[in-house]
This record gives sequence, C-alpha cells and structure tokens, in this order.
Amino acid sequence: MSNDNKSKLLLRTDNLVKYFPVKAGVFRRVVAQVKAVDDVSFSVYEKETLGLVGESGCGKTTAGMTVLRLYEPTSGRIIVGDEDTTHFFMPSLKARKYIKQTYIEKFSDLKEKSGSVEGAISSIEDGFDKKMAEKYFKEFNEDAGEFIKSLLGNREEKRKAFRRDAQIIFQDPFSSLNPRMRVKNIIGEGARIHGLATGRDVMDKVADIMTKVGLSKDHMSRFPHEFSGGQRQRIGVARALILNPRLIVCDEAVSALDVSIQAQILNLLSDLQKDFGLTYLFIAHDLGVVKHVSKRVAVMYLGKIAELADKKKLFDNPLHPYTVSLMSAIPEANPEKKKQRILLEGDVPSPINPPTGCRFHPRCPIAKDICSKEEPKLQDIGGGHYVSCFFPGELKRGF
Amino acid sequence: MNERKALLQVEDLRTYFHTEDGIVKAVDGVTFDVFPGETLGIVGESGCGKSVTSLSIMRLLDEKGEIAGGKITFDGEDVMAIPESKMMKIRGNEMAMIFQEPMTALNPVFTIGFQIMEAILLHQDVDEKKARQMAIDMLKKVGIPEPEKRIDEYPHELSGGMRQRAMIAMALSCNPKLLFADEPTTALDVTIQAQILELMKSLQDQYGMALVMITHDLGVIAEMAQRVVVMYAGKVVEYADVHTLFKNPRHPYTWGLMNAIPRLDEDKEVLYNIPGVVPDPLDFPDGCRFNTRCPLATEKCRKEEPPLVEIENDHTAACWHIDKLIETIKVARAGESA
Repeated sequence: MSNDNKSKLLLRTDNLVKYFPVKAGVFRRVVAQVKAVDDVSFSVYEKETLGLVGESGCGKTTAGMTVLRLYEPTSGRIIVGDEDTTHFFMPSLKARKYIKQTYIEKFSDLKEKSGSVEGAISSIEDGFDKKMAEKYFKEFNEDAGEFIKSLLGNREEKRKAFRRDAQIIFQDPFSSLNPRMRVKNIIGEGARIHGLATGRDVMDKVADIMTKVGLSKDHMSRFPHEFSGGQRQRIGVARALILNPRLIVCDEAVSALDVSIQAQILNLLSDLQKDFGLTYLFIAHDLGVVKHVSKRVAVMYLGKIAELADKKKLFDNPLHPYTVSLMSAIPEANPEKKKQRILLEGDVPSPINPPTGCRFHPRCPIAKDICSKEEPKLQDIGGGHYVSCFFPGELKRGF
Repeated sequence: MNERKALLQVEDLRTYFHTEDGIVKAVDGVTFDVFPGETLGIVGESGCGKSVTSLSIMRLLDEKGEIAGGKITFDGEDVMAIPESKMMKIRGNEMAMIFQEPMTALNPVFTIGFQIMEAILLHQDVDEKKARQMAIDMLKKVGIPEPEKRIDEYPHELSGGMRQRAMIAMALSCNPKLLFADEPTTALDVTIQAQILELMKSLQDQYGMALVMITHDLGVIAEMAQRVVVMYAGKVVEYADVHTLFKNPRHPYTWGLMNAIPRLDEDKEVLYNIPGVVPDPLDFPDGCRFNTRCPLATEKCRKEEPPLVEIENDHTAACWHIDKLIETIKVARAGESA
C-alpha cells in the first residue's frame, strides 16, 4: 500500500492470513479450515488510530491477535517500524524457510530476469522490499547464509523488545485481570520482567502510571474485585501503558462498559494518545465509537477488508455496499430522523465455507453475476480510499 | 392522550431485595403508564432497575425480591392482588416477555417447536396438531425460513438472530396485549439488530400490542419508542415523549447520557463525561441519587429528594435545578467549540 501519508509507518501487514483447523474423528484429522483472516493488508502510522470495525465473526479480533503474535499467522508478513517481525516467533527452521521464500528466492529470480543486481533492485517498487534487497545484495554480497543469520540473530532480545513495544487492552475488564493479584503487581509485572525498574522504583512507576490513568495510587494494594468496571478498564490501560509501548491494540476496549463509563475511557485513551504519542489499532463493533477515536477506518467482513479509508471519507461517502448497509442499520439517537433502512437479508455466512467470489454477494442488495464468480480486489479508487467491490458507490444510503 | 385508558399503570412501585449485605432498593418509586398499542421505552445504565421493574410487573421475582410498595394495574386489575394460579394464565397469554440472551432464555434440550407449542397448549383450547400448525404459522410470521423444518430444530442449531426470532414467536404465540422486551437486540450484531427491530415494529402494527422496550441504547429508544422513561439508581428521573426528550432533555443525567455517546452524525473532539460511577445500591446517597455525579448539585440536592414535577404537558423530571440545566448546556457547548 502506498504511503501518501507524511507520518512514519509503524505497523504494516501484508496479505495476512490466519486459518484455524477444524479437527474431527478419532485421529483428530483436520477436516476444514476456519478462514478467520484471509488476505488482509493494512498500515498504521505513528501516533494515529486505525479503527478496525465489523460484526462478530468478521475476523477483526483475530487480526489484532495475529499482529501481536498471540496467534501465529498462517501466512503473510507483519512489519513493525523498519523491521520484518514475521519470523520472530517461528521455530528456527520455519523462520529460515520463510526468509528464503520471502526474500532470497524472490531476489535471485529478479536478478536473473533483469540480468544485474542494480536492475533487480530498481525493479522492486515496494520501499521495504527494496531496502531488504539492498541489504541482501550489497551488505551481504548475496550470501544467503549470512543474510539469514543476521535476521535470525538475537532472537530472544528481539522477541522481548517486540513484547514490550506491542501491548493489548482487552474487552472484558472482569476476566482479563487476575483476581488473586494485587493491582500493583498486575500493573508492575511487565515493568519488572522487562527490567524497566527494579525494587522500590517499580512501585514508584506504578503509582505514577495509576495517577495518569485516573486511579488513586492509594488503591495499589487492592485486588481487582474492589474496583468498578470502568476502574478495572483503567487498570488494563495502566498495565499496557507502563511499558511505554509503541503500539496498543485495543480489542473492544469499551464494549463491556456502560455509556457514561465508556465516554470516560474513550476520553482517557485520547488524552493518553496526545500525551504519550501512542499508536492504537482500535478494534470495535460500534461504528460510533470507531468514528470517534479513529483517524482511518477499515471495515471488515468475513475475514477480508471491505473498505479502508480516512474517517471522513468513509463516513461521508461510504462506497462498499456492506459499509453503506452497516451505517444504515445503526439506530441513531435522533427521533426526528426517520431513515430508510437498507435491511440486509440473512446472517453472516460461516467462515469455514465462505461464499465464492465476493464474500458479501449473498447478502448484497446490488450483487450481479460477476460478484459470485470473481473476487474483487481491494483497490485504491483515489486519495487512499480503498474498496473491494466491482460496483463501488452504487448502493446509496437512503436518508 | 390521557383520555385513553391505560393498559398498564404503575404507581410508586418499590421492589426491594433482601440480601445478606442489606436491603437493595432496586426499584424505589417508579411511576408510568402504558397505553394500548404504544411503545414505551425504559432507558438507563446497568443496575438502574429497568429489568427489575418489568420482572416485578410480571411477578417473576425470586424469593429474595419483594414488592415493598406501590400499585400495578393491568387491564383494570390489581396485579398484586391476583392469585398465583390466575397470574399463570395471564403470564405468557396477556403479558409476555422477550429476554436479552436468546441462548440462555430458550431451553437447550427441547426443540423450539415444543417450546412454542407449550405456551399455546397452556393458554389456548386447541389440540396438539392445531398447536403445531399455529407454531409453524408464527415462525413464518417472524421471518424464519422453512418453518416446517425449523420447528423441529434445537436452539443451538439456530443463529443468534434466528433464536431471537423464535423467542419473539413464542412470546407472540398467544397474542398478548402487552409485551416486555428486555434488551432484545443487545446481544446481536447491528445488521441483525436492524432486522429484529423492523420485525418488532411490523408485528406491533399487525397485532396492536403494547410494547415496553427496555434498553440502554438511546438509538434503539429513538427509533422505537413513543414515550420514554429514563431511570437512574432505581428512580425515574425523567419521563416524556420521545421527541421532547431528545430535543429538550431537562434532567442533567438524561442530558449527560445523550452527550456521552459517540454519534455518527456529529463530530466531537471530546465526549461529555458523566464523572464517577453509579452509586452502590446498598448505600444510595441522600437527597437526589444523582447528586454525586451531577455538575449542578447543591446543598439542597444532597439533603432533599427532588419530586417528579411536570414541566410542561406530559414532560416530567425529578431535579431541583431544571432551569439551571439550560444555562449549563450553553456553557458546555461554548467550552466544546473553544
């Protein structure tokens, strides 16, 4: 995806795929695959919020978890900053194979085709791949062994750094905190493990972070059950924040909260983003919430991105029929506005056996023949507004 | 409007739960009317007593709960005086209820057909064959495809939206006069929610039943209800028709709630924040129960409980500072744009 944004790229996923095997029978044979995330590419820039929105089962949470490598991706590439992190958590043989396939074989082919190293490098369009090619050809003189060694070097340290840099805030503040740990230990555990502070200093750091997220530091010796839902979510925020992360994945971070508490947490997240320069991947099903927090928004349907654009563009001018229907389905808190609903028929199909062609076509009000046969590609139709539909903009909102 | 005879009248209802820690006053003085064929919305956050209100009216409280005061009149009868044997005839027949979680509200070991027929056989004088036909017709009406086949399926074989449709079919099978819908779409995805809301509207037109819509979602309220009760900590804080309420909320809690939701049709840098949390039901503050979170609270609010007063025709609110709110809103708006 081209970078028309001036700020720096922090996270980029290329063709991310995550399948979960369905096992059955005595021998636990794999009989099917749940295609939870199927070829998803997006970028998150530094200090911005990318909203990932969709209905249950669309793969938004799986995408977030895969980025954090709480699930190992089936295939695809995850780049954080200027480093390919895909192989960080692979077993070493698999990691070698991955590097060979992704870089070495591709670069060698290119060299053969263009006849020279320079030709090969200049034929690569993607900035990141180009840099890797330069590294491979110039720094390592096409020595595949050394190239792999350098990428796989210091794996433990790299993993640790990744775990520190990428944090998550979970949906349910009741089940995501260990009920038998005191709040100071829940928040301080990460700092201790990563050696950001030792001994007494850990508690100073915990007190400092607690104040920042709006908790009283006098409560640090309490247990999670002594807090209300909103306060617990603040503990979850503090736990992520203490490591000074670069990326925070907020997985339905406000969905379990009451309206008034939800507003408090949303405001807190946006204040912290300004103060600490945080980057959020904000996963939610509530379009209103996503619109409020995000700079750009990706709409997912059945494991794929249906539409991705700047917030304003997406909400003012939704182009994918799914986005349009989703927006028209939301009841608005305004009794004067009687809107014409686009009612989608049926349910979301099973990700085990997704429809052929465009995955939305069985429910799409404007589906034509081609939609069931060919799969539309996610294409930029101008100004960074990506949509995967053969007939973008043809379904209009009825206001 | 008041000339019509109310189908359900609730006056000063008080429901208390006797727990080991003390008395929880879940509902503490709730008054409202429901007219035939209309939709009344009850809105509030978790723990405000909105669900307990409906359970009290249907007399479905468990042994710890007790209706400690007030009067409930349904169709001219005093509900509290009806003997349990007669109440069983009313429940499911004249008043019915749809619950939030269709998976836990339906019995997993019986087919949906059995569960719908159970209600029909209990309340209507028909044989099993006729009841089955009625159940199939009902499933068709709520938009379940292939009802002849689906009637013999178990709840786990249906999707969430279909389960909720089956539950609606069950609730409407005896053509009730009054239907309680307790967060009927909260567990569903938005596109499915839209389907269910449309279905409920069209069924209401068809059957003419009155609907009490209990939800925390102001969007659903705006879409469905004609009149709205806003509850906070077991009390009614505001009561008005839906247009007046959204245009001109007079209680600071209602106003705060409306401004705390991120909306699709507005861009706001900062959401309005209702500070603090809902008070502990074992230990509600004296005076106005909202005083701990209210920007307008004064000494009077901390001491005396505000009564529900009529501001204009059919618009009541319980606040000592009804006039002050308008100015506060102006100040808040100015702060937002600054």
